[in-house]
Formats: sequence, structure tokens, C-alpha cells
Amino acid sequence: MNWGTLRLLYIHELKMLLRARRTVVMSIVVPALIMPIVLVGSKYSTDRRARALAETTYRYVVTGPEAGRVRGLIRDNVDGTLPQFLPEETSAADPARSLENGLIHFYIQTSRNPADAVPVVQIVFRGDRDVSRNGSERMSDLLRRARRNQADVLLAARGFPAGPNQVFPVEPESIASAAQVTGSDVGRFLTVILVMLMFTGGSIVAMDIIAGEKERGTLETLLTTAAGRAEIVTAKQLAITSVGIFIALIQALNFLIYIRFRLIELPAGFAIELPLVSILNLLLLFLPLAAAIAAVLLMLSAYAKTYKEAQLYFFPVYLLGLVPALAAVLPGIRSRSAIALVPIANVSVAVREILMGRPDQPMIFVTFGVMAVTGIWLMRTSARMLTREDIIAPGHFEAETLLGGPGLFRKRVLRWFALMWAVIFAVAANIPQLSTFRAQLLFNEVVVFAGASLLMIKVYRLNIREALSLRSVRPAVWLAALIAIPAGHVMSFAVFRLVNTVIPAPQQLLEQFSRDFIPKDMPAWELYFFLAVLPAICEEIGFRGVLLYGLRRKLKPVELALAVGLIFGMFHITLFRIVPTAFMGVILTAVAVMTGSIFPGILIHMGNNAFAVWAADSGLALQSLRWSDYGAAALIFALAMWIMWRTRASSSGCP
Amino acid sequence: MSYPVLVRGLTKTFYDESRGEIRAVDGIDFECGEGEIFGLLGANGAGKTTTLRMLSTILTPTSGSAAILNHDVVRDPEGVRKHLGFYSAGTALYPRLTARETIEFFARINQYPSSRVPERVRYLVDRFGISKYADVRVEKLSTGMKQKVSLARTVAHDPPIIIFDEPTVGLDVLNALEAQQTIKELRDEGKTIIFSTHIMSEAERLCDRIAIIHGGRILDCDTLAGLREKTGKHYLEDIFVQYAGRPAE
Ligand SMILES: Nc1ncnc2c1ncn2[C@@H]1O[C@H](COP(=O)(O)OP(=O)(O)O)[C@@H](O)[C@H]1O
Ligand SMILES: [Mg+2]
Repeated sequence: MNWGTLRLLYIHELKMLLRARRTVVMSIVVPALIMPIVLVGSKYSTDRRARALAETTYRYVVTGPEAGRVRGLIRDNVDGTLPQFLPEETSAADPARSLENGLIHFYIQTSRNPADAVPVVQIVFRGDRDVSRNGSERMSDLLRRARRNQADVLLAARGFPAGPNQVFPVEPESIASAAQVTGSDVGRFLTVILVMLMFTGGSIVAMDIIAGEKERGTLETLLTTAAGRAEIVTAKQLAITSVGIFIALIQALNFLIYIRFRLIELPAGFAIELPLVSILNLLLLFLPLAAAIAAVLLMLSAYAKTYKEAQLYFFPVYLLGLVPALAAVLPGIRSRSAIALVPIANVSVAVREILMGRPDQPMIFVTFGVMAVTGIWLMRTSARMLTREDIIAPGHFEAETLLGGPGLFRKRVLRWFALMWAVIFAVAANIPQLSTFRAQLLFNEVVVFAGASLLMIKVYRLNIREALSLRSVRPAVWLAALIAIPAGHVMSFAVFRLVNTVIPAPQQLLEQFSRDFIPKDMPAWELYFFLAVLPAICEEIGFRGVLLYGLRRKLKPVELALAVGLIFGMFHITLFRIVPTAFMGVILTAVAVMTGSIFPGILIHMGNNAFAVWAADSGLALQSLRWSDYGAAALIFALAMWIMWRTRASSSGCP
Repeated sequence: MSYPVLVRGLTKTFYDESRGEIRAVDGIDFECGEGEIFGLLGANGAGKTTTLRMLSTILTPTSGSAAILNHDVVRDPEGVRKHLGFYSAGTALYPRLTARETIEFFARINQYPSSRVPERVRYLVDRFGISKYADVRVEKLSTGMKQKVSLARTVAHDPPIIIFDEPTVGLDVLNALEAQQTIKELRDEGKTIIFSTHIMSEAERLCDRIAIIHGGRILDCDTLAGLREKTGKHYLEDIFVQYAGRPAE
């Protein structure tokens, strides 16, 4: 690293940013101004409202046989102990009409229960009018208090020693200090807020800093200078981090000012205690967090070819970053768990523990380590992206757009799958006719997966044998596939359990889901058909057929298996299923790549699903397996994979 | 003897999703001597830009080697870039810097001795006649002015070797002539210059030696006189067609 160059570049970047008026305004000035404007506005309107409510004289009417008694109660209790409540009784021939017309704010209707002659008091108001609702609430408070007072008086009159409240006093007392309680509350959200600020503040800058440079053509100029890639990326990374931190600080300062000027009321019992150690710990976590977010933004910017494209990617990445930051909101998660290995989520949890005054020092270091490694890895990836050749000379030839055919298909395949995803989760989920078990499966599997795949083959004039890998395989491969079925199923369950230790899946939810969804009287053969045969064929055609074919030339085999597997997982959206399904998807893709054929995958997929149906039906509890059993399954599974690997050359050799 | 620029068996294969394998540069050899203008003459898509990008280390060669003042483009890319000025239609200026700041930035980033940077900036502002608008932001300048600033930033660090990739593309005649003039002057100051173009007259007028590049290969490389002698033709256009065959393929 050449420090002189780094310094020069860093200053250069900041200078460029400060001179881009639009960037400065959008990323610094606007956020800094919007907050106070919103706060002042909302304070002004709540103040006004409170004043208006307090100054109102509430007009009401009392009707019914107990009116006299109620009037007496109101008179005796309206002694100003209820602050700023000025009730004033009027009279009206038709109280309901008067209320409707706004002549009175509410009315009190009394009656007598015909069975036991107990008086009943009803307050009628209009919930859509602030004043009416407020008046009726105050009146009901008043009457309730009156009732209590009366009860006390009656009890005392019958020789009861004191008010009932004093007989058996219950007083909860928390041993946590006010600061710990506040810390726990603030800690839940602090990381999320910081992540939001860093992302939004850093994004405008980040997009300008590479994607913008690419678009303006200055990146090529910069890359032909003596500055190294590492210095260039580091300087950009530092610039984004600085701006992100700067914006976060400004917002924090903003916040303190509002509290100081009471634009924001702090809740009762609010107390923050931050000893020096806590501050240092927070810095230890927030600095790598800021750096990692900056690196993500930088990578996004380096990946995009234009400014517009970068903006397009921003939102999904932003959401993806927010999800782990919410970890501290979940109850009962501690940093001494697998969560420590999940970037951002680990910071979120550790920060809350620090603010609660219960820092777990070793885990803070682990978290720091994980974040630092993540940040460095992201930075190196962005540096590599700068050396990617199409960054300078982006995809020249759009000829295939005109010609169509497989070339265009490879460019469009991901769009197709995004569309399929949207159809399944947006369209299908909202059409009631498609919500039954049979209809939904038929629609998703036959229409979406198989139908869209065949449509792609037709539209792009693909060779169907190649696109779907319709090839026969050796008997040994079939054998291996058969072995792989139970072993693979057990392993994907193991993955499910592993994921469970990080994100616990509510068990009832899962069970209820399948109970409600699967019709009870369904014959076994139909169950197996809908849950095993149909998905295996249709999903394999979609994922290990066309998707794999479309991505094949772009990715190396391992990346390919991961990508197809992950996309496969995304189509099984219940949070708890994504990872295990993706795991199965990776395996199935690997099988398809190794054997060069779609058929063994269909068999494994079908077998796996059938196994699941059978296990659920016969009450086989995979939960009771021990980790050693999973190990054995992994071994058997590895054996099956090895057999396929051994035979791969002969079966995937043909073009 | 050792040449300032030495290229041996340089090859670049692109892998395009739809076109498959493209041998953009296919095993070329050439060398440039000190104080000469070496021309790469070829039609669009001949592989000129790809060659020059490999020389400036933006692209990595698929095979073969290239060295600038004995710095290898793969093993010592930063050493190469330090001694190189690279100018092309693609290398834009930072719109938000002034002309003077631009020159200063590029002098420093290319490690020109920092104590002498101010003097160098003054000299270049003077030499390229940009003193009148030296403190105006580049985004406000006209094409001709920008071109001068661009030339100045290319030589900001006084590099011994300068690459011009189709420098006159998009310029009007007067600006183009002015650029050619500058290139000649730089040669006369002793710089080694590699110059690519698809315009025959430009190559005729400027180049000391011309390499005819076509389909990623150098078909021949000689002085204009040498080429005339070999082909028996006078005009470079005819010479070029004789080597490259019918242009419409
Ligand atoms: N990044 C790239 N990806 C794919 N093909 C490229 C890329 N860059 C250049 N090519 C191809 O390489 C060949 C040479 O291009 P180039 O060097 O730009 O030619 P020239 O500069 O002589 O016009 C052309 O066929 C071009 O399409
Ligand atoms: Mg070119």
C-alpha cells in the first residue's frame, strides 16, 4: 500500500464529492433538514391538538331512568382531580341526532338490567371525532373512579378496615436499573437505525464514486495512472465510510439537539449510562459495521455498469442489510450463540447487550473478528471487480438482442425467473381460486415451472435436448441416486436444524401450515403425486433444465451449483425453508452438472419429497436423530456423490 | 539493444457469451525505438485498442509479453504505468476539477517528484496555452479546450512513453491538426510514441514506422518508404488494401 497515493486519492475523492452539489444536497443537507422539519411540524400539531382538547368544554346529555344518580356522581367527582376536563350538561330531544350533528360531544344513556335491576351506564360517542372520543374517555374515567369511591365507602360502612387496594398490595419491582431498561429498549433498534443511516447516506456517494466514474469515463483514466487498484479501492472505500459516519454523526447530533430543545419527549425513566468501556466496545463494533456497509455499497457500484443500474440494485441490497440488523428485536437471542457468526446480526445483538450493561467481552471480539473478515473480503471482491475486464469495455455487442436465440436467452433467463417468482408470490397468492392445495400445486408446478420453461425453449428456439439435458446415464448413476435419496433427505433436515439454532422456526406455525393446507381426506396416491412426482418433474425442468442451461456459460461449476440452488431456495419462501431447500437445490444442481442429465435429479427430487411425505405420515421423527446419525448420512451421501463424480466424464462428455 | 517498448507474441482472447471465443489480438510482435512515432493502422475492430490497453495494463494479456522500459506489464503493472501516458477517446477528465487541478492531480498520482509539481503545472499550462481558463472547471470547457487539458494531463508526469489511441476521433479538423502537431513536438522532445488510427492520411503524415494490423495480427511493419517499396504502391490506402484484402469482410 502506497500511503502517499492513498492520501492523495482520498482527498481527491472527498473533493469530488463535495463539489457535486446534487450529491451533497441529497445525502447530507436534505436528511439533516427533513428531520427537524418533520419533528417541529409534528410537535406543533400535537401541541395544538392537546391545547384544543384541554380547552374544550364537553357538552353532553344524560338520559334514562338512572340519569339522576349519574348526574350526582358526576357532580361529586368533577372536582378538578381530572385535569382540564370541563363537562357541561345540556339537554336534547334526540341525543343521537344531536351527536350526529355535532351539537353535543357524547351522551350518557342509563338503563336498568331487567333481570336483577342493576343500573347500566352507556357512554355513546363518535369514534371518528377526536373531541368526542377524548370527552367520552374522560367521562368514563370519571365514572369508573366514582364507582370505586362508592365501593370503598360501602365497604368501610360495613366495617372493612381499609380500601380494598390496601388489603393485598401487589408491587412489582424490577431489579434492573433504569439505565439497563432503557439500554435494552434503545439497544433493540440502535443498530437498525445506524444501518439505515449508513446505507442511505453512503449510497448516493457510493453510486457516484464508481458507477458514476464509469459512466463519465474517468475510471479508465484513473486506471491508467500509476495508482494501484488497492489504493484506488481503499480510497473510495474510506470516502464512503467517512461520509456514512459523518452523516450518522450529524443525525445523532441532530437528535441530541432535538432532545435538548424538547422537540422529542423522552419516555419516563429514560436513562443512558455509557461508561468508557461501553463506548469503546460500541466503536469496536460500529467501525467495522460502517466499513462493511461501505464495502457492500462500493461493490454494488463496481458491479453496476451505470449509475442507473446501481440505483436499481440498491433497494434489494438495502433490505437485505436491514434484515440481520433486526436480530436484536427478536426475543431471547444472545451473542453467545451461532448468531455471532452472522455479520450485522451479531453486531445488533452485541450492541444491545452492551447497552443493557451486560457485555459479553469474548463474543464482542468474535463479532469484531467476523465483521472485519467480512469487510476485508468485500473490499477485496470490489478490488477484483475493478480488474474485471468488462468494467472498462462493457459488453460490446448487443447483436444478440436483435438476433434472439440462445445468446439472448442467456441474458434474459434471470428476468424470466424473477417474473416467475413474482407470479407465484404476488399473483397466485392473491387469487382465491388458486389457494386450494390441488389448484395451487397445479398452477405453480405445471403452469409456472414447466409451462414457462417450455415457453422459453420455444421463444428462444433452444434445442430441447440440450436445454433440458435429456441424456441417459449409466446404471451406476441410478444406483448412486437411489442411495442419495434417504441420505440427502436426512442431511437437508440436519441443515434445517442448524438453521434453527440461528433463526428458531416456530414449530406450531409449520405444523399448522401443513395441517390447514393439505386436505385431510386425500388418498395416499394423490398425496404422493402432488407432493413428489409433480414437483420433481416440473421443478427439475425449470431449475436443472432451463435455468442451469441459461447460467451454465456464465459461471464456474461451483458457482453454478450455488446460484441455481439459491434461486431454487428463493422459490420456497417460508424463511425456515429457504436454506434447507437451497441446500437440496445445490445438491440437485451438482448432480445435474456431474451427470450431464436431468433424470437422476428427478429421481432424487421425487424420492426426497416422497420420503418427506412418508416420514410425516408414519410419524418418523427425524428430530430424534443424533448428530452422529447425520454424520453417517453425510458419509453415505458422499459415497453417492463420489460414484457420480467418477462416472461424470463418460456421461457428460458429449456436447 | 533494448527498446523502450517491446512486444512479443502478445495475445488477447475475449470470451463473449454470444460470439464465443474472440481472438482480438493474435500473437503480435513489435518494438518501438526512442524518439519515434510508431503507428498502428487498422480498421475498426482490428485489435488496436485491445493491444494498447494491454500495454497500459488495463487488460491482462492471455499470453505473450510486453514490456515498457523493461517493466513487464503483468509482473510490474504499476512500474509500467508510472512511465506511461495514455490518451484515448475513452479517457475522460474529471468534470468537477479545474484544468490546473487536473494537471496537478495527474502529476502527483503518477508520482512526479512532488517538490517540482507546481513548476511542472505552470509549464504545462503555458505550453498548452490554457492559462486563460486554467481555473475554470473542466465541465464548462469546450471540446477543443478539453482536448488541450487532456493532452496536458497525459504528459503531466513527463512520461518517456506516450500512447495515443485514435486521439483525433470526434475532433474537428483544426483541433485534429493541433493534436497532430503536439504529438510531433513530443516526439521531437525525445518521447517514444505509439499512435493508433484508422485514418490513412494521419498515419502517412505522422508515423515514422507503421504496423498494419488486421484481425488481431500485424501483417507488416515498416517505414512508409519500405511499405511502398514492398508493394509497389504509392498511397497508403492502396498499400493497406493490398495487405488487408477487400475491406468488406
Ligand atoms: N471487452 C470485450 N469483450 C468482447 N470482445 C471485445 C471486447 N473488447 C474488444 N472486443 C473485440 O475485440 C476485437 C478488437 O477490438 P478493438 O481492440 O476495440 O479494435 P479497434 O480498437 O482496432 O477498433 C473486436 O472484434 C471487438 O469486438
Ligand atoms: Mg479502438
